[in-house]
Amino acid sequence: MTNDTMTKGMSRIDGRLKVTGAARYSAEFTPAGMVYAVLVGSTITKGTIRSIDTKAAEKAPGVLAVITHINSPKIAGYQVEPGKQEPAKGTYKLFYNNKILFNGQPIAVVIANTFERAQYAASLVKAQYNAETYQTKLADNTAKAFAPEGDGKKTRGIADAWKTAPVKLEQEYIIPSESHSPMELHAIIAKWDAPDKLTVWTKTQGVQDTQDGIANIFKLPKANIQVNSKFVGGAFGSALQVWPHEVAAILAAQVVKRPVKLVLGRADMFTSVGYRPNTWQKIGIGATTDGKLVGITHEAAGQTSTYEDFNEDPVGVSRSTYACPNVNTVYKISPLDIGSPTWMRGPGEATGAFALESALDELAYALNIDPIELRIINNAETDPDSGKPFSSKYLKEAYKLGADSIGWSDRKAKPASLSKNGWLVGYGMGVGMFGAYRDKASAKAIMMANGTLIIQTAVSDIGPGTGTAMVTIASDIMGIPADRIRFDMGDSSLPQAPSQGGSSTTATVGSAVYQACTDLKESFQKLIGNGGTDKPDYVEVLKKNDLPKLEVTAAVSGGPEMEKYAMYSWSVHFIKVLVHPATGVVKVDKAVCVADSGHIVSPKTARSQIVGGAIGGIGMALMEEVIIDHRYGRLVNNSFADYHLPVNADIPQIEALFVNKPDPYLNPMGAKGMGEIALIGMAAAVANAVFNATGKRIRELPITPDKLVGMEDLLES
Amino acid sequence: MEDEKDYALPGFDTEAKDNSRRNFLKQSTLLTAVALTPGTAIKAADMRLDEKIAEAFEKMPIKLEVNGVAHSLSVEPRATLLDILREQLDLTGTKKGCDHGQCGACTVHIDGHRVNSCLTLGVMASGKKITTIEGLAKGDELHPMQEAFLKHDGFQCGYCTPGQIMSAVACIREGHANSEMEIREYMSGNICRCGAYPNIVNAIQEVKEGAQAV
Amino acid sequence: MKAFQYTRATTQQSAIDAIAKPGTKIIAGGTNLIDLMKRGVIAPDKLVDINQLPLNSISVNKLGHLHIGALALNSAVAEANLVKDLQPLLAMALNAGASPQLRNMATVGGNMMQRTRCAYFYDTTMPCNKREPGSGCGAIGGYSRMHAIFGASDKCIAVHPSDMCVALAALDATVTVSGRKGQRLIPFTEFHRLPGEHPEMDNTLAPGELITGISIPHNNFAKNSYYLKIRDRQSYAFALTSVAAALEISNGTIKQARLAMGGVAHKPWRLFDAEKALVGKPATEESFKQVAEIAMQGAKAYEYNKFKLKLAPATLVEALKHAAGLV
Ligand SMILES: Cc1cc2nc3c(=O)[nH]c(=O)nc-3n(C[C@H](O)[C@H](O)[C@H](O)COP(=O)(O)OP(=O)(O)OC[C@H]3O[C@@H](n4cnc5c(N)ncnc54)[C@H](O)[C@@H]3O)c2cc1C
Ligand code: SF4
Ligand code: FES
Ligand code: FES
Repeated sequence: MTNDTMTKGMSRIDGRLKVTGAARYSAEFTPAGMVYAVLVGSTITKGTIRSIDTKAAEKAPGVLAVITHINSPKIAGYQVEPGKQEPAKGTYKLFYNNKILFNGQPIAVVIANTFERAQYAASLVKAQYNAETYQTKLADNTAKAFAPEGDGKKTRGIADAWKTAPVKLEQEYIIPSESHSPMELHAIIAKWDAPDKLTVWTKTQGVQDTQDGIANIFKLPKANIQVNSKFVGGAFGSALQVWPHEVAAILAAQVVKRPVKLVLGRADMFTSVGYRPNTWQKIGIGATTDGKLVGITHEAAGQTSTYEDFNEDPVGVSRSTYACPNVNTVYKISPLDIGSPTWMRGPGEATGAFALESALDELAYALNIDPIELRIINNAETDPDSGKPFSSKYLKEAYKLGADSIGWSDRKAKPASLSKNGWLVGYGMGVGMFGAYRDKASAKAIMMANGTLIIQTAVSDIGPGTGTAMVTIASDIMGIPADRIRFDMGDSSLPQAPSQGGSSTTATVGSAVYQACTDLKESFQKLIGNGGTDKPDYVEVLKKNDLPKLEVTAAVSGGPEMEKYAMYSWSVHFIKVLVHPATGVVKVDKAVCVADSGHIVSPKTARSQIVGGAIGGIGMALMEEVIIDHRYGRLVNNSFADYHLPVNADIPQIEALFVNKPDPYLNPMGAKGMGEIALIGMAAAVANAVFNATGKRIRELPITPDKLVGMEDLLES
Repeated sequence: MEDEKDYALPGFDTEAKDNSRRNFLKQSTLLTAVALTPGTAIKAADMRLDEKIAEAFEKMPIKLEVNGVAHSLSVEPRATLLDILREQLDLTGTKKGCDHGQCGACTVHIDGHRVNSCLTLGVMASGKKITTIEGLAKGDELHPMQEAFLKHDGFQCGYCTPGQIMSAVACIREGHANSEMEIREYMSGNICRCGAYPNIVNAIQEVKEGAQAV
Repeated sequence: MKAFQYTRATTQQSAIDAIAKPGTKIIAGGTNLIDLMKRGVIAPDKLVDINQLPLNSISVNKLGHLHIGALALNSAVAEANLVKDLQPLLAMALNAGASPQLRNMATVGGNMMQRTRCAYFYDTTMPCNKREPGSGCGAIGGYSRMHAIFGASDKCIAVHPSDMCVALAALDATVTVSGRKGQRLIPFTEFHRLPGEHPEMDNTLAPGELITGISIPHNNFAKNSYYLKIRDRQSYAFALTSVAAALEISNGTIKQARLAMGGVAHKPWRLFDAEKALVGKPATEESFKQVAEIAMQGAKAYEYNKFKLKLAPATLVEALKHAAGLV
């Protein structure tokens, strides 16, 4: 989409609030009497707390309470039913006992009447530990890995068939742990309205899932818990569950009998709200000399915590992306003494696609076939994994669109053959795929006497512009301008909606909004009689019928089509890089991302979402890496100065292109998801471009200058 | 924050014990400064005079002009301008993304210059003019940069946005918006995890090229 | 952060008197001090705000020496025409540091005094001889990617993180300091020190001394200078390696050279031998590669920073090529 068309289309419905600073995020409410809580983290990695000295903290000015495992009120949902065994695994239980399971684990929460006082007092809490030996390094622990499901193996056709192919290769690929690092710190304000009634403002991707989570932990009736999360400052998967700090704030509010605000520090954001797990992968891939895939073997071992099994199936991409008769995959996870990982944008698929799409590129060079050509040769016309037809797939068109836009024809097949002003130039591409899902959701549509349409559903918007998309759908159906539509969300008391994740919000909640509006319009048409008109004058009709408003609630779920078809969104990323041969500095010169994600409901926000995902992928490729000093089991780069996210100077203009053809089956809008595919495949595209520029294949992310330094000879030759 | 004494949660025992004040008073080394005998100190604590003493010895009076409004405040020297804006003045448009000068979410203008308010002590800003995102629009009329961010979709989640906009306005005023490359460099003190960078650059370029004063 | 008292110094003397007391710290821009205080790395009882002192001028004298007050903001120095014209290398180095917002706060004196960014120094639960003498060095045997390849000791392998200081070291600047005993001048290259047995000491400023300014002598480098910084992202990141290169070239021959490296040592690493070797040589990539070898003599890497043995000379050659106008 060009600069011009992208500024057209609807601006965000909540944009004004965001650009004026009026949008309030979770930490930005002030219930009367609110006080501040700050967590204290463990400084060892594994062992037990021998003693914990809270006296100094308790005596510090303004301190109301210090809660530890010793004095913590019992949390009902943590307790094991009499006669039953403590389950071997499960979500981490805050202040449950004296066990330390990972470095930085909360061991105390300090509550004081100002933030400054709480923070200082927290620094006064000192624990003595009995430290035990621990494991935090995946590379040393892959042997301990176990399959999260069955034996972790899946085979289609003949296992290891790639070995029999005339052209073949086997390589290992590693991604480090990555941090979601949304700009908004995770925050919660907890307020007990009565001993069994709770209101929270918390950062969550799903107000009702959080409501469920809190209900389970505190054994409260769900209806007694009100969860608010109208504005979420990014999450990318980090806010899909109730985390210990949320429990801590709720507990603290109970103890001090006041509303409590708890905002995680940036350092805690690296240890307390999950991360994309460090994963080792190996791919064996083989093809006939004319490029037909013979077999793929894809193994992966990712890290998890000792107390939870995190399973994100990174090898799934190898089963479904290309038509290949023989595919076998093995996935295992290795428990380490680190906090649990969690879903991060493009979960599993992003990890897997880095390996698969790098391997495919390597194969293309080995075959001397253009990487796009190789992918077209092996394009899957039906889902190779399930055998079902695709609900829609326009990947071939996407290749063409992207190749034209990046100037693929300028690429030289031989690495290190292009240069510009002393920089090596290279082109690379990578494919992303992600299941297109649709879940259950409800929405209420209310037409008010003054002609305002109110749409209500309990969805959250972590940034993609859900409200904007929903209003666009409503506006289209009802035939009224967007500025007459109000969209209510981020409130657990609204009609049911799932968490925002897995790129399924537009498909799921959009369908509910679609249905509610369709039904509402029909109600009007019934009131009008004679089949109504296509553009009813809603105000008139209400007036005539002496109605203050008319409202409809619709509940929808995925149709039977979901069983009949394999549904995926697809993306192709094209990258042009400049690599400085002597210093190894990599600059992305141009990026083109093409999405085959059905009909585009809201073009402007859709483009932003693709661009944003692409930038996440560039970060993954070039700079993001969580680093642990394994001698201490402790992070050494848990800050934004040391964990590098891309900054503006790293990012060129990014072209976001859409095939924009509706999917006939997933939902009435014809929309498929795109939050994940925006990122999936990008890291490989960058690595592939770096190879094309230099002839150096980087199989372990991120591609920092140290991995490329010292290639000045390339330019001279 | 309102007086805690007046606050009681419905359904709770209203006699929430608050020993901290007393403890503070008994502990505080600052008390030596007022030469209270321990006995008097405890008495003072029982009379809940401790907060008043803290007020005098731990806090300092400051004057801030924020978005044209004068505020006389009493703050602890360790309170940052960011926390004062957010927690005391309820100006939550200025965001906390890292609290260590590493993200730019807290960018405000002090006497017209963009700075990170998380590394600025409130006491150091006393007597200065502060502009936050809430002070950019003229009533209902958005600042051109706010309009441009809307038009170019220069944000997604919106959390880095106030900082980006404050920085963007300064970027033009400083004369650092003369090319796309220059804008990218001079906007690099504001991290956006949602990845709105190209749109932000486009918004700034449009404002820069437009006729409106920034 | 621990509570502290805050006062404003209105005269230089009152500032000097105030910092004579232990537990008292000067605050200028605050961008490093407040960061460290928030993390509990330092916890002064008292802060003396020196921003009221008239130490922010930028001026040039009859001899062409540039004088910059200790409180001049990093951005003000980088933007000053005097600096851009006379010492563009300094402006380039400043602009390569931190972010526009931070440069609007950071002062020249504070920049010189900023502490290392070594992660172990910042994390009070880890050993660090610089923060807590005798506790050991976390970085040795640990994550040493950002650390020194020159002049380190078995007590500390940290680097000085400043960009500005690399340029000032190259430009033969002098530091003016004031203390109870009066004023003294410190050559810039002697201001920061190597860790040796005492990594807790970053520099040679005596306790109770105040930096009042720096001066840079007149030179003929304006036409051929360049500051190159290599980092993990294009902006807002500390240097992996950086080089300040200043050349005086006449008819393609190097008449004088000044070179300093950043990101490689506990102090800005001046390359005296390489400078000497450049004099009389043609300003070509060949010459630059030769002196890069000289520059790297004595370099020693640790587990994670071996790449610097290649990156540092590469940065030097590139910076020189830019300075000489070859790119
Ligand atoms: C996220 C981030 C990124 C950064 N990136 C870079 C970078 O890339 N390159 C770079 O060079 N720097 C970088 N910096 C560091 C920044 O440049 C320094 O923090 C700044 O220069 C310090 O100056 P200040 O005036 O704020 O010092 P302050 O924080 O006020 O003081 C620092 C120290 O200097 C002492 N001091 C201050 N003035 C004097 C004086 N006149 N005499 C004696 N002692 C004095 C103080 O007592 C204190 O100990 C970065 C900082 C941050 C937070
Ligand atoms: S390198 Fe220096 S600063 Fe870093 S841990 Fe060792 S002693 Fe401390
Ligand atoms: S909050 Fe101030 S820079 Fe991040
Ligand atoms: S808009 Fe979300 S971080 Fe920038």
